[in-house]
Amino acid sequence: MQDAPTVEGAGAPRGRAGGFTDWLPGAARRRRAAGDAMIRTFEGWGYGMVATPLVEPLDTISSGVGAAKQTQLFRFMDADGALLALVGERTVSVARVVATQLRDGPYPLRLCYAGPVLRNQPPLGGRRRENLQAGCELIGAGCIAADAECVALAAEALSRAGLGGVQVDVGHADFLPGLLEGAGLDASDRERVLAALSGRDLVAVEEALSETSIGDAERALLLRFPALRGGREIVDAAAQGLRAERPRRALGELAQLWDLLMAYGLEGHLHLDLGAVRDWDYYTGPTFELFSGELGFPLGTGGRYDGLLGRFGLPLPATGFVLHVDRCCDALARRGGEAAEPLPPALRVAYAAGGEAIAIRAATALRGPGAAVACDLEPSDGPPAGADLYVDADGAARWWDGSRWADASTAEAVAALAGSTNGRRAT
Amino acid sequence: MSGLCVAVPNGALLEGACELLGAAGVDVEASRFDDALLIESGGHRLIKVRPTDVPVYVEMGAADCGIVGKDMLWESHRDAYELVDLRFGGCRLVLAAPEDSALAAGNWPPSLRVATKYPHAAVRFFDRINVAADLIKLHGSVELAPATGLADAILDIVATGRTLRANRLVEVAEAGRSTARFIVNQASLKTRSEAVTALAAALRRAVDARAAAKREGAA
Repeated sequence: MQDAPTVEGAGAPRGRAGGFTDWLPGAARRRRAAGDAMIRTFEGWGYGMVATPLVEPLDTISSGVGAAKQTQLFRFMDADGALLALVGERTVSVARVVATQLRDGPYPLRLCYAGPVLRNQPPLGGRRRENLQAGCELIGAGCIAADAECVALAAEALSRAGLGGVQVDVGHADFLPGLLEGAGLDASDRERVLAALSGRDLVAVEEALSETSIGDAERALLLRFPALRGGREIVDAAAQGLRAERPRRALGELAQLWDLLMAYGLEGHLHLDLGAVRDWDYYTGPTFELFSGELGFPLGTGGRYDGLLGRFGLPLPATGFVLHVDRCCDALARRGGEAAEPLPPALRVAYAAGGEAIAIRAATALRGPGAAVACDLEPSDGPPAGADLYVDADGAARWWDGSRWADASTAEAVAALAGSTNGRRAT
Repeated sequence: MSGLCVAVPNGALLEGACELLGAAGVDVEASRFDDALLIESGGHRLIKVRPTDVPVYVEMGAADCGIVGKDMLWESHRDAYELVDLRFGGCRLVLAAPEDSALAAGNWPPSLRVATKYPHAAVRFFDRINVAADLIKLHGSVELAPATGLADAILDIVATGRTLRANRLVEVAEAGRSTARFIVNQASLKTRSEAVTALAAALRRAVDARAAAKREGAA
């Protein structure tokens, strides 16, 4: 066993850009496992994986997302002077791919992806600037069944990644705008109220409403804002006194979605949230967020975005979601599901001088059935502590059975280790 | 009702925040924070942090909710729901200039150098009134900037106006009004919905009762 090297040369460059994360062995493995579990779930529901570039032309991105998100992009210049950016999300990229290369379907088109996204946020804010995201897009289906599939799949993928029992909040991007329009507010008043709502500033909503001619029923509904949340019964409660067609249609869609999600087994985890406020310039129908009690951020978000594909010349309805893999890892760590794991467990093969070739063949034989095996890089004079197999120059071997060294031929030792630990080192 | 973690700001708003929490059924004496930054009351945990840090604790979910001046929210791009105007700790953000200046007389110069601790609120204000201003961010004693020639005017918080008068500055325009607000983490609003909305409702009742008592006292 070597001592960790002492750090010398205090001026040596070893900085890491603020807001970025090094994932160490164990944590990195769990992060990959969480992402893999999500992708496997997506594929199990018929979603085909696509991989899109980390870089997109700024034009492509700005035709897809609102101005607010464009200010948080890492941008740089291409050789010809065109502006490029690191992607801050991947739905726009998938939309571009569908509109240019998968126009012919078959529809509905089910696609999934996983990859890093970058946001140029202030580095000392405690927020990660690089995040691993895994998501699905269901393109060419405008029905509520498609929204239900996405909500249920998002919850299932989190469950397969170890986060069972998450809370799902479902809202509708057209409910509040429709409510305000139906209440007879003019465009500038509507914009003011919606801006306050999307800024999550309910005090400003109250101020804005007090200066408009909105009807009592609508005012009462809006001021109940955080309480516009509950089970299927709130649909009927909200519909009372609402005559306008647009918000009533949104409520009808939510009721339909609720019933479908009961069939998916989400009873007890589902909430309707009529006050859910998401980017109106992007979402057009049902929206949803997934929460666990451990974390102050949503683990996943999604919704219907029927306008996006049209911006790429292929007007098709679409719905989808993204799961934040790194936040899921944070939530899993807080659940304490897995203890700290400094290094991946591997069988260690050691050898005496002259036994290298036999040791390498033994390690290869052990890896065959799937064991993780690390072979020493230098010979040891006698079996070192922590080794599982020690090979002498003449092919005689010893293997550690958990309490003592047992003598055997190399072949016998390999068989015993493969059988006794099933490829995982007993700890 | 499951316990919440509530962040309260030290300094000028601490006393008022504790009084209002008491009126809302979370009994807490401000003096209990004299020798502890974290105390428990009525099943809730209360933490005392710097005013600028309240939105940070709340956004990151380290606190479920908090009490903070609106002026702090102007400057922090932190994501939290702002649920209740608590109507105490009132102050105004004003543009002030030396009393003998052209600006004080109502003549806006074509370009303006303004010192402020509130650059984000300043950008929004000057955008709104369509004035091109060069902003200089300071961290304190902003009122010295005009006297020393650092800036033509200041954009600063005013509670009583005493500081302005002492430095021979006069108010030119109001850029905003601030009171204490009750803010909530986005996930806590959903996952601890009952406790959070109950506390928000109790605070709202306490604020309304105070306002009613004030009206009666005045009548």
